[in-house]
Amino acid sequence: MCPRQRWRGPFLQNGDIAVVLTKTISKTNTAAREPLVQVRRVVKTYGPTKALSGVTLDVHAGEVFGVVGHNGAGKSTLMRVLSGLDGVDSGSVQIGGATRPSGRGFPGVRMAYQEGSLAQELTVYENIYLSSKNWIADRRWHGAASRRAAARLDEIFPDHAIKPADYVDDLTLADRQMVEISRATIADDLSVLILDEPTESLSGSAVDHLYDYVRKLRSSNHAIILVSHRLKEILSVCDRVVVMKDGAVVSTHAAASVTEQDLFLAMGGEVVIEKPVQGTSQAATDSARPISIKVPMATVDGAATQIVAHKGEVIGLAGIAGQGQEKVLDRLWRRNGDVQVSAALAYVPGDRQRSGILPIWDVARNLTITALPSLGKNGIRQVDKENALVTKWVDQLKIRGGSSAAITGLSGGNQQKVIVARAFASDADTILLDDPFRGVDVHTKVELYQLIKSEARKGRTIVWYSSENSEMQHCDRAYVLRADRIAGELHGTDITDERIISLSFVEARGS
Amino acid sequence: MIKLGNHAIPPWTWSFLSAVIVLVLTYMVSGRGGMQTITLAFTVAPYLVLVGLGQMLVMSAGPGNIDVSVAKVFSLGGLVAIAVGDVTGSWVLGLGAAVGAGLAMASISIIAILYVRIPPIVATLATSLIASAISLTLAKGFQGSADPLLKGFLSWAPFGIPAFAIVVLIFTILVSMTLKWTTWGSQMLAFGQARRAAEYAGVSAKKTMVIVYLTCGVLAALAGALRASFSAPNVELGNDYLLDSIAVVVIGGTLMTGGRAVPAGVWGGALFFILLDGLLNLIGWSFAGQNVLKGFLVLAVLFLAGGAPILRRRVPSSVTDAAKGEENAEPEIKTLT
Amino acid sequence: MVSTAILEKFRFNLPKGLARRVLPGFLTLIAMVMILLICGAMQPRIWSQNGLTLIMSPIVALAIASMAQMVMMSIGDIDLGIGFFVGMITTIVATLLRETPILGVLALAGSVLAYALLGALVQLRSVPSLIATLGASFVWLGMGLFVLPVPGGSAPDWLFAYAFWQPPLSIPAPLVTMVVATALTWFVTRRTALGVRFRSLGSNPVALMRSGGSLVVTRMLAYGTVGLLGVLAGITLTAEIGGGDVNAVPGYTLTTVAAVILGGGMFTGGRAVAWGTLAGAVTLGLLTVLLTLLSLSSNLQPAVQGFIVIGVLAGRLVVERMTR
Repeated sequence: MCPRQRWRGPFLQNGDIAVVLTKTISKTNTAAREPLVQVRRVVKTYGPTKALSGVTLDVHAGEVFGVVGHNGAGKSTLMRVLSGLDGVDSGSVQIGGATRPSGRGFPGVRMAYQEGSLAQELTVYENIYLSSKNWIADRRWHGAASRRAAARLDEIFPDHAIKPADYVDDLTLADRQMVEISRATIADDLSVLILDEPTESLSGSAVDHLYDYVRKLRSSNHAIILVSHRLKEILSVCDRVVVMKDGAVVSTHAAASVTEQDLFLAMGGEVVIEKPVQGTSQAATDSARPISIKVPMATVDGAATQIVAHKGEVIGLAGIAGQGQEKVLDRLWRRNGDVQVSAALAYVPGDRQRSGILPIWDVARNLTITALPSLGKNGIRQVDKENALVTKWVDQLKIRGGSSAAITGLSGGNQQKVIVARAFASDADTILLDDPFRGVDVHTKVELYQLIKSEARKGRTIVWYSSENSEMQHCDRAYVLRADRIAGELHGTDITDERIISLSFVEARGS
Repeated sequence: MIKLGNHAIPPWTWSFLSAVIVLVLTYMVSGRGGMQTITLAFTVAPYLVLVGLGQMLVMSAGPGNIDVSVAKVFSLGGLVAIAVGDVTGSWVLGLGAAVGAGLAMASISIIAILYVRIPPIVATLATSLIASAISLTLAKGFQGSADPLLKGFLSWAPFGIPAFAIVVLIFTILVSMTLKWTTWGSQMLAFGQARRAAEYAGVSAKKTMVIVYLTCGVLAALAGALRASFSAPNVELGNDYLLDSIAVVVIGGTLMTGGRAVPAGVWGGALFFILLDGLLNLIGWSFAGQNVLKGFLVLAVLFLAGGAPILRRRVPSSVTDAAKGEENAEPEIKTLT
Repeated sequence: MVSTAILEKFRFNLPKGLARRVLPGFLTLIAMVMILLICGAMQPRIWSQNGLTLIMSPIVALAIASMAQMVMMSIGDIDLGIGFFVGMITTIVATLLRETPILGVLALAGSVLAYALLGALVQLRSVPSLIATLGASFVWLGMGLFVLPVPGGSAPDWLFAYAFWQPPLSIPAPLVTMVVATALTWFVTRRTALGVRFRSLGSNPVALMRSGGSLVVTRMLAYGTVGLLGVLAGITLTAEIGGGDVNAVPGYTLTTVAAVILGGGMFTGGRAVAWGTLAGAVTLGLLTVLLTLLSLSSNLQPAVQGFIVIGVLAGRLVVERMTR
């Protein structure tokens, strides 16, 4: 099964589609028409992170509007704002005349989520009924909802094998995605359809069918907003594409007149044709030091390779978020049978609130929890040793508030310092970092980068997943992952934002 | 913890304060003070405290952890201890047998929770059913009475202070010290306040769960054995101890969502409950009124304390977290394998 | 053309996931029939309207209380107070409802309302349902004792009439009651919009929220339904024991959970298995009859239940490991 090969968009093979697209644009984007979606200087912050820093864009009726950008560009936040899930801090959003979302979002705006919006224990038609109640008759709704579901699934995905009475729990991921997309389109007042990475789990023919339907919606004067990492798809189906970076729109393109490489450039990538890795031979040569971890992997072409880290090395796992980096860390942490890993491990989780802090305790106790067994004597805590350790780390990392401050009272950056210190304060020789610096201020980050480097110099091995490409330059080597496979390996000064972005979009050769 | 000026009020304060208020009210109603009320309370309270300490450990191990088998294990412990003590003529062996019964029952719960992956509530329910069947079978034609020596000790109260209460008090201090000064205690409380965080920090889920449930089972059985020695063994001896143990733990300031155990509060809660029973009896409230009042007290404490879900119910704290929650849900299940 | 294709699909393929959901209840049903057959072989007199009525009537209240527990578990909660709640209802029915029907009806309505408020407490304060229901069970016990300090009272006349009712065609009356109650519960949880909301609350509250549903209202309605079924269970129990006793069935709390599990219910919520739960409740009820007929001590009954619950869940885990 090779997911890279399933999409063969018409764009590259079919030259004349560009002409058709241009015509559509000139027909619908007449200045006289008021845009359906008007976003003006929208700013949205979550805590210290500025997710959107003044986004302005228009989407017209009868247009497919593509949104691309690398991790943290603000795409998801923008979609949440457009669907009415989140309010804005400043600026304005106007959709079809409404400036403020009602309890169910902006009227006429529906979003197909990537995951999480179907109730698994309910059947397909019950899920449809739950979200489209307003447009299904209350009497005999079972039949009505089933028919609506079946009709829409047939319309979008003619060769689907989903029955309305199937339980979502028992559907494959692809089938669930089809249900999710159909669910979003079942609304009589539909005017704007947002598709968030709709093809991530769909097979080739289903992808074609989806985009046929998208074009059909366009011709019936709907607006479709498509968010995707798959640039070929974006270019083949969209009329216009915006590129987002760091919470802002950096450029808007007519899809017919740009290439994938133009989009790369706009996202901050570098136009290099990367050679996918050919195995581990080159990796093993850089270091005569003993190997501390080994994880068997596959390259994007399906060849066997492995992630290797030597003692004292900082290894990066880069690429678009959710392409298997966390799975690698998880395999290491749970010591799966196929990985080789040193005796003592420590893990720095990225999701501070859920899997990082111990909310009831103060900084000192949060910091020492991992080191406790090695500090203690016969299971009894040695408080003087603990205090010495706490003092050392609080001073070294300048944790504000000191050792006796409540952890929940600290800023995100300081909380993260404590959690990082927790791992490094233990006697683990391999430290796994799971994108720990999301939402951490620059100052703290710089301090923590220094810490990571100096700890590696002392002989520790660091395996570091980050969704922020620029962080990866602090690694000795970085593996770029794509769909659970290795798309490339970068060394030292080669680890740049641009190269990572380029590798992130590497497809298997032959597609 | 509520801060008053620079001094933090310990969470067990409220239960003791309530107990004292009830005591004063009792004195006012009865029109006479004296040690008698206190002696009586301290004679009955230790059994509830022992069960409560076990329940406290279980509940401190995080949301979803609860042992509903304590009532039946309590009764079973009583019957086993008296039966074995009667046959062998040694109360020490009797108590030992009760401890063994508690361990056996808790082991059933542990196996069901860790290996059959049954939620603690149902696993301990099943254990409770099994314990109850054994008790019923044992109780048929049951004869035998407590060792007079042990019985004498349990009701011995020099200077109006029951000696047994002192023993349990010392034990409570030991539990408190264990939680505070041992590595395991810290790890358990870390596990209770944030399971995933604790596991990433290197805390073993299995070790934590095994120890808390075994301790709870042993304490319930032992308390039952002693209680039966104090009065008489009976299949229904433990019935009140399930609700009461949970109530005194919650009232005592232990967080029902885990991570903060307050052994002293269990004493406060137990004394409060027992003195309240006495007071309500005194003013002529029936058993009925006592229960209604207790129930509303528990609900009021729940209302004030609030907390997080116990049955892994997926309530999103906000929609923002929702998508994140999906991907986080999985490893949590994996940890039990 | 499209619609006929759909019809074809409908008719000849079982929906995906249906088998996995129905199978546990179906196996329980087979177990139930087998136990019934064994009982019948040992004591042929049960094969009569009277005989069947005799062995089934103690099960009616359990079956309806299990429906209540099933609704509770379908939203992902567990009710640890249902035993005393049903007991409290019997005391109200045997006294207030008999003597001053209006007051009695008000008291019963109040009980349902109290349940709905409990649901609000659980949702709004994110209180663990099992501690909240446990706390409430003190209240139910106290109220029950308040109404009837010692077992007594007497069922209203119409309830006596029901107890002696002999439906035509030699159908045992308890069977009619159980089937009607189950059908109603099935209808509400599986066929109505309300039921969809209940199950969605149990399965994925985010889906319910994104569709604009209120979690608080849904949970309150679910708890209200549990209360209503609890009241029904209490009424039928009064008919069975002929009076009121708050301590009549504290064991229901555990047995009803076992019945739902046998019927194919889940702790994580989302699954509503009314018919399976009926099979589970009847199986557990018949087990008592069987143990009596085998002249095994009824003392062993709880242990058998306990091992059944663990065994069933272990078996289900093994099956799921193998199929996935």
